[in-house]
Amino acid sequence: MGFKLLPIEWVTTNYVELLSDNTSTPLLRWFLNSLVISVSHTLLVLTVVSLSAFAYSRLEFKGKKMLFSFLMGTMMFPAVVNLIPLYKIIDTLDWVNSPLAMIVPGAASVFNIFLVRQFMSNIPIEFDEAARIDGANDFQIFSKIILPLIKPVLLVVSLFAFTGSWNDFLWPSIVFSDIEKMPITPGLQLLQGMYQSQPTLLMAGAFVAIVPTFVLYLFAQKYFLESMSLSSGVKG
Amino acid sequence: MKAVTGVNKLTKKTSSINITPWLFIGPHLLIFLIFFLVPIGFGIYISFTEWDLISQPDFVGLANYKEILFNHDSIFYEQFQTGLKNTFLFVLFAVPFCILVPLFLATALHAKPKFWKIFQSLFYMPSLFAISAVVIIWKLMFDVTYGPINHLFQLNTLWLRNQPYAWVSLVIVTVWWTIGGNMVIYQAALNGIPKDYYEAADIDGASGMQKFLKITLPSMKSQILYTVVLTTISQFNVYGQPLMLTGGGPTNSTRVLLMNIQQNAFGSGQSIAGIASAMAIILGVCIMAVASLQFFFLRDKK
Repeated sequence: MGFKLLPIEWVTTNYVELLSDNTSTPLLRWFLNSLVISVSHTLLVLTVVSLSAFAYSRLEFKGKKMLFSFLMGTMMFPAVVNLIPLYKIIDTLDWVNSPLAMIVPGAASVFNIFLVRQFMSNIPIEFDEAARIDGANDFQIFSKIILPLIKPVLLVVSLFAFTGSWNDFLWPSIVFSDIEKMPITPGLQLLQGMYQSQPTLLMAGAFVAIVPTFVLYLFAQKYFLESMSLSSGVKG
Repeated sequence: MKAVTGVNKLTKKTSSINITPWLFIGPHLLIFLIFFLVPIGFGIYISFTEWDLISQPDFVGLANYKEILFNHDSIFYEQFQTGLKNTFLFVLFAVPFCILVPLFLATALHAKPKFWKIFQSLFYMPSLFAISAVVIIWKLMFDVTYGPINHLFQLNTLWLRNQPYAWVSLVIVTVWWTIGGNMVIYQAALNGIPKDYYEAADIDGASGMQKFLKITLPSMKSQILYTVVLTTISQFNVYGQPLMLTGGGPTNSTRVLLMNIQQNAFGSGQSIAGIASAMAIILGVCIMAVASLQFFFLRDKK
């Protein structure tokens, strides 16, 4: 049989076959697990990051400069050192095989705080002062004035958080052993072991796994392309 | 400052410390403490212990480091040496292409050829895919019988089971997967170079190559430094490609250190977390050392 660039016959049976196998490779289940994990992780990161970036950028407190420099310094620490002890902590919290193992730890990242703080520093401090004179407190200034103004950078943070969490591979393959609970990336590895001789099925699985980030790109293309230059400190 | 004192009446009464800022940074600090700071300290400690992930770690001093660095008869010595060597080889093979290919594509796109936006999306998109999906796609591409690559070039190469093809495959997959990030950084850098530089060079009769070497590259220096360091750090953490594409083969020649660390700590059988931690720490030290060297040699010397 000769090689054809385009498929000889278009079929949907691969997807039907994959999606109907609910025991050894529950693709649909994995997809939903990934969705729950990535969306929750993104929401947590947004909350935590915008709150602390606000304080490091616009509030005064003792030790602020020192604390922030310390946080920035830890960014150069290689993550691989964390792998084994972090597993023990997850185990101690009884989070093995729980989505929390993937939702929470990533929110410790300092990089996003740096990014949002940079963005905030361009907002005139007079905005805050005017609001204070009108009797607004720090929380009101944060939620009513700053938050609406930092939407663009928060969108970039969300894209990073969502795709990073969706595509994470090593960490979920360590903290998930229960097939029912795992997200799709380690799931695909199981799929590869199971359907080695059925490439069309494997491709269908891979396709399902890339659909969400692909769709996200279609909608937020501009932000994706700008996000990298934002993070490397270049203005495009 | 004047305004602040007016607002926080409540906290002012009880103490001179303003707690409001700590409410803002508290959630992050708590997560940072539990999931970053504590594990790092703990990770360094367990590299000096014998530990199975379950029972109490047993302090053994430098024994783990001695075992993997000097005990020639030990299986862990063997694992560590091969793993670290292969990781370094991978970084050496992959990083130059992960810089040059995006640089080339960014320069090509900068000339705004027809459909450049479509090409930009095509080049960028793979970086948004999960590595396990990427490997599944490429494993099919490299397949010896029905793979498009062998078919297209009329070859019978066993890409994933012979050297140097196994390394070539790993580098191709990695470059394809990571083009996007570096490419858009270079595109932004190119956009930032003032047009008059090139106009002045044109008047002096400079060739295209001269302009690229004397104007374009020097103007992108800080972005190139940034991408070289970040790409190197991320490629040191290579794991998914060799695991799923070559399985570390042929005969362990692409078995990288992270695979051994994962295997020792979390693989089937009893966990050898102490040894695995020592391996992880040395890998971490290597990453920091190489990144600092790059930074030292590539930064702007004035």
